[in-house]
Amino acid sequence: MSPSFGRGVMTNHIIDMKNTDCALIIGSNVAENHPITMKWLLKAREERGAKLIHVDPRFTRTSAVADIYAPLRSGTDIAFIGGMIKYIIDNNLYHKDYVVNYTNAAFLINDGFDFKDGLFSGYDESKKAYDPTTWDYQRDAEGKPIKDPTLTNPRCVFQLLKKHYERYDIDTVCRITGTPKDKYLEVLETFCATGAPDKTGCIIYAMGTTQHTVGSQNVRSYAMVQLLLGNAGRPGGGVNAMRGENNVQGATDMALLFHIIPGYINSPMNTPDHKDLISFLKKETPGAANLPVSTLAELREAVKAGFPNSGFKINTSKWVVSMLKAWWGDAATPENDFAYHYLPKRDEKKNYSHMAMFEAMYNGEIDGLFVNGGNPVVGGPNANKEQAALAKLKWLVVLDLWLHETAEFWSYKAWERPVENPDVPKMEPKDIPTEVFFLPAAAVYEKEGTASNTGRWMQYRWKGAEPVGDSKPDLWIIDQLCKRIKKLYEGSTKPEDEPITKLTWGPYGEGEEPEPVLVGLELNGYIGKFEDHKPVENFTKLADDGSTACGVWVYSGCMTTKPDGTLDYKPMWRDNQDNSKTGLGLYSKWAWCWPLNRRIVYNRCSVQPDGTPWPGDEARALFKWDPNNPDGDPKTGNPGKWVGDDVPDFNKYLAPAVGPGAAVPFLMRPEGVGCLFATKKDMKEGPFPEHYEPWESPFKNLLNSQQNNPCIKVWEPDKQGTADKYPIIGTTYRVVEHWQTGALTRNLPWLAELMPNMFIEMSEELAKLKGINNGDKVIVSTTRGDIEGIACVTKRLKPFTVDGKEVHQIGMTWHYGFNGYAKGDPANRLTPHIGDANTMIPEYKAWLCDVRRA
Amino acid sequence: MKVTRRQFLKFTGATAATFAVVDLGFGLTATAAEVKGCRIKDVTPTPTICPYCATGCGLLVYSETDASGKFVKLLSVEGDPDHPINRGAACAKGAALFNLREVYDELTGEQVVNPKRAQKPLYRAPGSDKWEEKDWDWILDEIAKRVKETRDKSFIHKEKIADGSEIIVNRCEKIASMGGSGLDNEEAYLLSKMMRALGVVYLETQARI
Amino acid sequence: MAKLIKVIDVTKCTACRGCQVACKNWNQNPAVIEPFTGSYQTHKDTNAETYTIVKFNEYVDPAKGVRWLFRKHQCMHCDNPACMEACPRQAYSKTEWGATLHDINRCIGCQYCHYACPWSVPKYLKREDVVTKCTLCANRVEAGLKPACVQTCPSGALQFGDQGELMAYAQERVSFLRNNGFPEATLYGVNEMGGCNVVYVLAYSPDKYGLPVNPKVSGQVSFWQNIVQPYAGWLIPLALGASVVSFFTTRLIAASERAPEEGGNE
Repeated sequence: MSPSFGRGVMTNHIIDMKNTDCALIIGSNVAENHPITMKWLLKAREERGAKLIHVDPRFTRTSAVADIYAPLRSGTDIAFIGGMIKYIIDNNLYHKDYVVNYTNAAFLINDGFDFKDGLFSGYDESKKAYDPTTWDYQRDAEGKPIKDPTLTNPRCVFQLLKKHYERYDIDTVCRITGTPKDKYLEVLETFCATGAPDKTGCIIYAMGTTQHTVGSQNVRSYAMVQLLLGNAGRPGGGVNAMRGENNVQGATDMALLFHIIPGYINSPMNTPDHKDLISFLKKETPGAANLPVSTLAELREAVKAGFPNSGFKINTSKWVVSMLKAWWGDAATPENDFAYHYLPKRDEKKNYSHMAMFEAMYNGEIDGLFVNGGNPVVGGPNANKEQAALAKLKWLVVLDLWLHETAEFWSYKAWERPVENPDVPKMEPKDIPTEVFFLPAAAVYEKEGTASNTGRWMQYRWKGAEPVGDSKPDLWIIDQLCKRIKKLYEGSTKPEDEPITKLTWGPYGEGEEPEPVLVGLELNGYIGKFEDHKPVENFTKLADDGSTACGVWVYSGCMTTKPDGTLDYKPMWRDNQDNSKTGLGLYSKWAWCWPLNRRIVYNRCSVQPDGTPWPGDEARALFKWDPNNPDGDPKTGNPGKWVGDDVPDFNKYLAPAVGPGAAVPFLMRPEGVGCLFATKKDMKEGPFPEHYEPWESPFKNLLNSQQNNPCIKVWEPDKQGTADKYPIIGTTYRVVEHWQTGALTRNLPWLAELMPNMFIEMSEELAKLKGINNGDKVIVSTTRGDIEGIACVTKRLKPFTVDGKEVHQIGMTWHYGFNGYAKGDPANRLTPHIGDANTMIPEYKAWLCDVRRA
Repeated sequence: MKVTRRQFLKFTGATAATFAVVDLGFGLTATAAEVKGCRIKDVTPTPTICPYCATGCGLLVYSETDASGKFVKLLSVEGDPDHPINRGAACAKGAALFNLREVYDELTGEQVVNPKRAQKPLYRAPGSDKWEEKDWDWILDEIAKRVKETRDKSFIHKEKIADGSEIIVNRCEKIASMGGSGLDNEEAYLLSKMMRALGVVYLETQARI
Repeated sequence: MAKLIKVIDVTKCTACRGCQVACKNWNQNPAVIEPFTGSYQTHKDTNAETYTIVKFNEYVDPAKGVRWLFRKHQCMHCDNPACMEACPRQAYSKTEWGATLHDINRCIGCQYCHYACPWSVPKYLKREDVVTKCTLCANRVEAGLKPACVQTCPSGALQFGDQGELMAYAQERVSFLRNNGFPEATLYGVNEMGGCNVVYVLAYSPDKYGLPVNPKVSGQVSFWQNIVQPYAGWLIPLALGASVVSFFTTRLIAASERAPEEGGNE
């Protein structure tokens, strides 16, 4: 989503779903995986007559309550959505004023840009990568993009888009996706009606979208539809990424990911353009690369003056320097690049993502692993291999509430398999040299802290019970561990130990237990010394001269002080009155949400360029321009500002205008508008999503001669299953009764009761073909391994007719393992080590298998 | 004294009474002894946020405490009616949060701590087929030692880069860290900070899988 | 005192099964783990420690194709409950607002209520030698709280409150459904068994949800109620078959023996 909108986050929030006229739920099963969402979707249906559309390979509990259910073969979203883009353009259903003003539809593209038979210009076969130089705008002398607001220039994005999806006609799409034509048409007509200015529709997606070799482009295609229909940045609209874990949003914001540092800034690499702070800042601040500056002071002046193609990220230096100050305090000085050199520089040639980590581990390249509330023996792709990789470790630290399958990967039962398979590793405890340290963690309500939900709401959880036995809050464990490691390095004078010896570490409280609020202070940022407890107001007050410290700039603004001078952590706020006059349900004083408590991001789009509501949509306008407001721009002293229920996600002092001088609606994008065309390095496989088949597919790509995404990294070419041996499409999913790897649900008797065993869903047709009865034990096999489960034969699954041929599909949950009250084989023993070209998210959702009676 | 479930039902059954009406909007009179008491009456709940999916629903934890305010046991965990997102609702998982800590035993019906909860730090030695119980000091110190040993042995301090210059890269590729999406923000932040200070680059959370 | 009813609008149910767990949480019931046999439903029926379950039925609508029908199954809290009439120990009672309650202190575990109920709701709990069932969360309701299942329901499928208001709502739902592609839509629990405190809004006829279309009390119960009960207990052995005799007498004796040592709490 970041290449389209500027941020990779859910644009709206849960309650806002009640404001929609139509919800397209695709690649998501909200009724099962985000059940409370249904409260608001059903409210939209009851009160606004909203339609709910579910597009999914399986008929699920979401389909059961949807108005329209359309099946689609797993891994064909881009064909499905590509056809929708064509339908919107062909039938003039796009929201023209929105498209012209709030997207890059009018921007002209470099003449070198081209697309032929599945490949965009610039592909290098040997590197399996593109040189994206031509994927750029035509620019004027100042470097600003050239536009054609009439959208007629053949090199404008709109015309190129139209041309690209010319091939995605309804019949071709249905031949690929296996969707019945009447159902597809019903979806197109219903959802595309939200292109009317007085209508909004939202797209809701989750892992069914992202867990593909084209996962990022799937998301892109949704974002593009929402830009065309004028649905992004408006209540009841947006692209709503349903995050799967209670704080996966927060963990991402904290940059527990190799490729970023906190606040979505690329992590430094061992490259010349990252070799020192100024090089890094020039590289990572959009539009700064070619500035004639060679010191931070010069960059600071350039930022103050402003430069084109930068967007709000022009402030990157303030975020980076403040983070360095938060981490290394007094040791971070202007003279030493604010200790920039302490940060690890990853090897640009290496990938450090989940699959790469386990491949490296399997090859013996990693000695020690921390697993902080994860369970790769169940949840990792190609779990047989990941389990074997753990046995190559010298030591493993597991932090969890339960002795789950990863904690006990070395036990006898961990290596039991339903079928003898020479390709699957089998070990015994005596052969496994790994030392395992298990740290018992306290449960969620036995400790305190905040979590950020999918709508970016940062909420406080209080402690309601004591930890069981000797279990401890994770915060205590991490705090203790760091202090003990620092102690071991105490007194070291080696320069390579400085990042540890000089690392600031609170103190986060006076007693033995660290206080979450004090860590919150560091997230928010502070002025002066940490011990002074003086929070900065928000990230607009951060500086790059060392006068402010801030751990995670996007969280800046989450802390303030009470009248008595003590810290006031906004996630604790519990005013549940809806502050929006129009009843939109923003609840701005309930907890706090990043950035700056904006509940709906890109919210400039909720009104027309001239600042008035979209015709007929007064109730969903979030702002209006108040020209005489005395609280005007402090810089110019002029009166006038935008007022409304939400916090503006744009310059609130800029009067409504069209063209230069207008507040940009997508301020995190260098071009300031939503991107129908993703430029340069934003997407690895091209500016427009193009359909490629899943890595394992029984069908040839009908749209071009590139079978798979041309940019994916293939770890195990020999493990690619083919349809002659494995003719059935397999997919994995979750159910409401369990969660993720099941550690946190299979150990709960009430939930084990609801879903006690591993089961395999299949159609009556396939069951008949294979001689399987409902309730039979069956074996599912892929090139990676075999699992056993119980057949769940259902009318809800049907074979697909793809290009005139019938293909079967089976589905299974990936929640099970060999421990807990509810047991079963992990489905991920079947899934491949192959992932999306951009994110490396594995393709859990579409692979080839066979099934038989056990 | 062990209280059987039957006795437990009978004890609590004696306390049926009329309470202030909170959210139904009308008064009722308790009618029969068979109406067991409302065990969360007059108990101040503690708000938390559900640890499962990312919807961010509020839940209330009702606990019994002794005269000194010390926690005794859980009474109930339910949806938070004040929470704007879920308004008191909870799906099967949210409604089961009581089980995260305590369960009613299948055979006796008694309320006990969930027997699957790990309560002690544990160590598994190389080649062993069992766990050994350890104390926190031992286990944390041992882990710290492993971290230092592995880091010091494999640390890449400086490296020659593409332009021929040598720069400090402070990288430790032999230690990896995964997970964290179940951690609180404060925990995830400190983990991120600590790992990066150690030079860890194999740093991943569930956002990727 | 106005009656309070529960409306179960199955057309809004997403089968999240929060109600099933919230019920266990409130009633302090342990899990009853049975193996998966091919349906999401897991339990075929409620049991003594599972007062409510969501039933899953697949149905092919000739016009709409495959439908997955969910229905929360539980005690109907009849106005004239067969269980109450059948009970030889007067363990059953009605609250003035409509809940059918069962006093386990009086129960002797004879299970006659189970056989009397057209939905077989009361279930035998071997460990305690008593029958158990849904209480409509009377102890919550009388403390001003909603029943646990109603509070936890995310989708609005479960509603609890004043009979007049909720019946109007339920009827409105049925007319809406009938006008929007579900001509068979109907209420269930209004006329059944002379009226119940639990009323379903159904999109299809009751049989599609596994509900008996004309629920009846078994003949034996009216016999018990009209003929046996008016007479003294000595008629029991004569009125019932020999195998039942020892069943009842041992339980009655056991109950009378047990009573003193367990007394003192009422």
